Amino acid sequence: MYHLSSRLLLFSLLLLLQVFAVAQQNVGLSGKVTDAATKQPLAGATVHIRGTTHQVVTNADGQFFFQTGQRLPVTYDISYVGYQPIQLRATTAQVEVSLQSNSGQLGDVIVTGYSTQNRKFISGSIVSVSGNALKDIPAAGVNQLLQGKATGVQVIANSGVPGGGVTFRIRGNNSINASVDPLYIVDGVFISNTDPIQTGLGNQQQSNPIADINPADIESIQVLKDANATAIYGSLGANGVVIITTKRGRLNAKAKISFNTYQGWSQPINKFKVTTGPQTALLTNESRINTAIDNGLPPGSVVLPFPNPDTLPTYDRFSGLFRTARTSNYELSAQGGTENSTYYVGLGYFKQESVVRPSQFERLSARLNYDNYLTRQLKVGTSINLARTQRNLSGSDNNPQGVINSALFPRSYLPIFNPNGTYARYGSFDNHLALIENLNNDAVGWRTIGNLYAEYTFLPGLKLKSSWSIDNTSEYENNYNNTLISAGIATNGSAASYETKNLVLTNEQVLTYIKSFGKGRKHNINALVGNTLNTVLSQNTTATGFGFASNDLTAVSVAATRSGSSSRAESKLVSFFGKASYTFDNKYTFDGSLRADASSKFGVNNQWGYFPSGGVTWRASQEPFIQNLNLFDELKFRASAGLSGNQNGIGSYAAQGLWASGANYLEQPGTAPSQLANPNLTWESTRQVDVGVEFAVLKNRLNVVLDFYDKYTYDLLLNVPVPNRSGFASYLQNYGAVRNKGTELAINTVNVETKDFRWTTDFNISWNRNRIEKLASDIAQGASGRNISILKQGYPVNSFQLYRQLYVDAQTGNAVYEDVNKDGGITSADRQIVGNALPNYTGGLTNNLSYKGFDFNFFWYFQQGNKIMNMNDFFLVHGGTQANIGFVPRQLERWQKPGDVTDIPRLTTSSLNPSVNGGPANNYGGNVANLSSRYLRDGSFLRLKTISLGYNLPTGVVQKARFSSARVYVQATNLLTFTNYNGLDPEVSSQSSNQNTAGYDWATVPQPKTIQAGINISF
Amino acid sequence: MKHTLFYSLALLALSLSSCKKYLTETPNNALPTGNAIIDAGTSRAAINGAYDAVQNYYAANYPTLGTITADNVVFNGTLSQYLQLDQNAIPADNVTTVAAYQGIYRAINSANSIIAAVPGVQDPLLTQAEKDKILGEAYFIRALSYFDLGRGWGGVQIQLKPTENFESLKGVKRSTLEQTYDQVLADLTRAEQLVPEDATTRNRVQKSAVRALRARLHLYRKQWADAAAYATQVIDNPKFSLVLPYKTFFTAPFLSPESVLELTFSVNDRNSFWNLWYPSSLGGQFTLKPSAGIVEKLNNPNIGGTRNALLAGSGASVYGTLYNTFATSTDPAYLIRIAELYLIRAEARAQLNDLAGAVADLNKVRARAGVPLLPEAGKENLLLAIEEENSVEFAFEGHRWFDLVRTGRAGAVLGLTNTDYWLFPIPYQDVLSDPDVTQNPGY
Repeated sequence: MYHLSSRLLLFSLLLLLQVFAVAQQNVGLSGKVTDAATKQPLAGATVHIRGTTHQVVTNADGQFFFQTGQRLPVTYDISYVGYQPIQLRATTAQVEVSLQSNSGQLGDVIVTGYSTQNRKFISGSIVSVSGNALKDIPAAGVNQLLQGKATGVQVIANSGVPGGGVTFRIRGNNSINASVDPLYIVDGVFISNTDPIQTGLGNQQQSNPIADINPADIESIQVLKDANATAIYGSLGANGVVIITTKRGRLNAKAKISFNTYQGWSQPINKFKVTTGPQTALLTNESRINTAIDNGLPPGSVVLPFPNPDTLPTYDRFSGLFRTARTSNYELSAQGGTENSTYYVGLGYFKQESVVRPSQFERLSARLNYDNYLTRQLKVGTSINLARTQRNLSGSDNNPQGVINSALFPRSYLPIFNPNGTYARYGSFDNHLALIENLNNDAVGWRTIGNLYAEYTFLPGLKLKSSWSIDNTSEYENNYNNTLISAGIATNGSAASYETKNLVLTNEQVLTYIKSFGKGRKHNINALVGNTLNTVLSQNTTATGFGFASNDLTAVSVAATRSGSSSRAESKLVSFFGKASYTFDNKYTFDGSLRADASSKFGVNNQWGYFPSGGVTWRASQEPFIQNLNLFDELKFRASAGLSGNQNGIGSYAAQGLWASGANYLEQPGTAPSQLANPNLTWESTRQVDVGVEFAVLKNRLNVVLDFYDKYTYDLLLNVPVPNRSGFASYLQNYGAVRNKGTELAINTVNVETKDFRWTTDFNISWNRNRIEKLASDIAQGASGRNISILKQGYPVNSFQLYRQLYVDAQTGNAVYEDVNKDGGITSADRQIVGNALPNYTGGLTNNLSYKGFDFNFFWYFQQGNKIMNMNDFFLVHGGTQANIGFVPRQLERWQKPGDVTDIPRLTTSSLNPSVNGGPANNYGGNVANLSSRYLRDGSFLRLKTISLGYNLPTGVVQKARFSSARVYVQATNLLTFTNYNGLDPEVSSQSSNQNTAGYDWATVPQPKTIQAGINISF
Repeated sequence: MKHTLFYSLALLALSLSSCKKYLTETPNNALPTGNAIIDAGTSRAAINGAYDAVQNYYAANYPTLGTITADNVVFNGTLSQYLQLDQNAIPADNVTTVAAYQGIYRAINSANSIIAAVPGVQDPLLTQAEKDKILGEAYFIRALSYFDLGRGWGGVQIQLKPTENFESLKGVKRSTLEQTYDQVLADLTRAEQLVPEDATTRNRVQKSAVRALRARLHLYRKQWADAAAYATQVIDNPKFSLVLPYKTFFTAPFLSPESVLELTFSVNDRNSFWNLWYPSSLGGQFTLKPSAGIVEKLNNPNIGGTRNALLAGSGASVYGTLYNTFATSTDPAYLIRIAELYLIRAEARAQLNDLAGAVADLNKVRARAGVPLLPEAGKENLLLAIEEENSVEFAFEGHRWFDLVRTGRAGAVLGLTNTDYWLFPIPYQDVLSDPDVTQNPGY
């Protein structure tokens, strides 16, 4: 303490001396900094006089001014985020400088783990996406918006439900039972990506917690992919890290007030189709006759259920299911700064309806980012995000009491209403209109992401930053099933109320040292050490009630029968870390990092994990022999290797031997064994090697980044299935290994650049190959116990295990399957892996064109090679086995007479001799029971994600209206899709609450096709 | 400077020692295994937990296995697991068979833990009588569990120790059905010694429940004299009687004199099995539907009589009402009713050629249902009549399938001539993860 205060005193004295010095000499040097392309002044650029401590920031007019004792000529170092820094030798007191904006990625200063670094010297694989590239897309979550924008990142919206779950993978699935989601960091805050919603939506991941962040507040996103970039996050880093940096003001910048809005109208990209009433009746009759024949009865003996199929009516359920959904977005922000403080204030409102009634999502967000230089040495600041989200949830879409199933599955000849006007229900299914009109599932979330920090500069280059962060999610759900829907009929109304809290608290200290020394400052060091303390707390309290006096009473408290439950889980993580990077002569960089983590989740024997990494970079473009080629503006090779870890996704108490409580009987408390102890449980580790090359040619007009990686994850945190006779189903162990290997290529080009016309193209493509290298035994799961998804050594995760249908016998009309074990019969041993849900490659192509005031851009996303299990076909091409379910038109392609060639077998419900291959029993039931490759489809697609046309109003008009800029635009999202997939939408993953059951299409809301119009205004 | 160094080191030492403490987290809703059974309170909680495990597999899964597989109940829903059972084309990963198998072994592990730990508990609050009661109940639960495994899957692997680690499981092969049933008998014998004499309780095990299960075991093993003898012990107990009308036993508040053992559910511990039986217009899923055959029989005054109370609705939406507490979901799991003991004794007596005694027992059950009494008949016809009576009396309780398999009549009655399919498959997971298990033939 004594040292600190004496040092403070010393600094204060130095400061005072400088002021005296300035007062004595009083020489003025000034200039103006502008954008080279637009000629607009740049406010907030940093100007530093080489060889001095003098540094100023340009004002709102781009002007800077020094009072200094320096004599001309002086050398200025001028830098500005997003522009190429410049060195300028000034021989006059007044200069004008223009900065080139960084069109590609290669020159930026970017945020990496706990520090910012110049991209040139980074040996890790990091991709940056500017906030501008993400704005105005009508989707709630930032992570969803990264689809096709960054190499190595695979993003799929699991459904078209607004604010709904997103599958987000960086370089493939690393794990089986632990989490495969990346670490998200917003302005230094580790945020929770745990879905707080309790209301069931089938097996879909209910919500996207990242949707609590307003994309408009985002300045940039960096995605950290390789071990060198992520090892500094140790046990949190194995799945990659997404660092989100929000907008901050600039010193000495005039307030800039922006207002943006857009309005959108959406339709589903496709709608369901089912057979008409007469077709359904015809198929039913045919199935009945065929079954009789198969069972050895004379066909004449069959009493046809529909003697006159043609007379049946057809009721359309889909017009009531879908709607033209509205989207509205409003944003208001102010940004600026004074001499020693900066601010950004943003307000946003976003509302999006689902194209399938009645879900919707609404977000109200507010952000305050504030920094203040209390002294030259001490800077304090805060970043606070407040968001309120509200969702109308449509529970259990892929359950008979869900909206889509209730519209899709009942037979089309059945009326929607009973003759007395009440809702009609059939079999297991509810009435879709009853659900749409009466569903009352309201989820309100409050999210606070906040950070307070203080940064103290001891010496130039030596800084200590301490920061305190909170991410508090509080979700309050109130559901009421009234007596008009199936879920509420029996109990006279039922209600549930859930209060869920996810809290992440982080404290961190980082000491950074950046220094250049030696002759010509050839030696550069960038080093840091630090520690973090991290606590994660999840709590839930649930109250349920049954029996209500009236449908107008919806509170749990007034139910006849009430019950409650609660849960709580807390885990802690202690970490120490350090990293250092040394650059010689702007050419060679060596860096290394080490992190030590201890987690409360693990067994006492193995709490600590150590995660080292190292990398080298060679900027060949700095070598004379490359410079002499006059070809490369930049050429850089990099290589890195390291370890990172994973502990997310397992229970807080996973290593402990436990008896669960709540196994009650006769209202007396009960306990039962629930988990066996594993005191050796420890980190799942990922070893990753990455080599990359980056180059820019043709005056930076063509930028290329190419990466190869090999990621091997071992000691998987695996729920190893154990013999049931143990009384346990599985045991969490460190066992197994998964490998992800891939290639990533990003190409950015400036195709045309003239005074009025500019055309740029960004293309990226990522290949990833996943393979389970080691597994204790096969793990089969998915599709409500049908076990279609399998994890098997030697195959990728998300593989599908099915009976492979070879053909439909043209003579008998019966399906013939591959008899894998050649035993002559069809048994469960004849299931085989017939594909997987992971794409071979994904990518995006963006074109931006601007001509004078007009801008036009379009963005394609593509993925290839993934398979989708079409569960709608699975259920609705049932050959008659499902008495209460209708058919989709694909059933009409069934075999009818000898000679017919088709893949849809003859209709029958006979179940005799199910092990006979090519017998009627396995057409739709029997041992195969529809679990055949007949319903597995190629899910590759190419989609025009966005296309937009904008117009910047001319300066004259804008100024007359006292704006500084104004843009109007129209945009279409998901306008075109090219695919062979036969379901509604290839962008789907209905069983996403389990990462190992990807690639199902099951009564899921398709993506919306949206047309929007918007305006952006700045004052 | 020296001071600074000293303080830093002290701080470091302090932070490292407190680090261990900082990193210790314990749940607030579960007990460490070492503290699971240590005193009176935890011993009682453990036996409640064992009952809860039986509840879990008897609430829906086990009764489903005994019904939809036979001819009284047909599949009417969407879930393939039920279609597979209805068609008797059951893959090794059929959800219902797996859940039942898993649930039964959970009950066994709970029982094993109690049998291992409770005798050693030293707590003055836990009297010897209570210890005996808890132990006896645990033996009964283990017996019931192995019995249910044996009749569903054949001879199984016998675990008699609580699972503490997976090494200790190694080397246990499947037993024969006789060996499994021998274990059941051994546990029932211990249970009968330990559990209390009958009082008014019907939802915890007392001596009659043990004897009733033993009667059933002897019936399954074709030990007719023992079956008749144990059935008689229960029938002669005035605690039990055939209630009138028939529907009383499945009408709230339950626990009627009909009941030898039922597991009680409550609004806090719900059994929503009704949901699988009721149509969606009444809030259910209608997956399990009475077959046309049983509907006809139950509605026939000469066959079903008052047992037509098991049906409601009309036309295409006739549904079963055995499980009917749709508002509260408090239907019990019906384990043993006194009617079963009469029919056990009837069958045993018939097999022992005491045809008059057999008919008398059969007619007790018929009389209660209000259907005409049967005259004395030949042995074979009488056995068929008893089989038929079982089918109607326990139309939606899990008896029919096991009865037809036990008597070898599943082929003749259900057309399921491949006897491999008379046993359920061992779960796929066990076949994959357990080198000691062998799959049942035909799967």
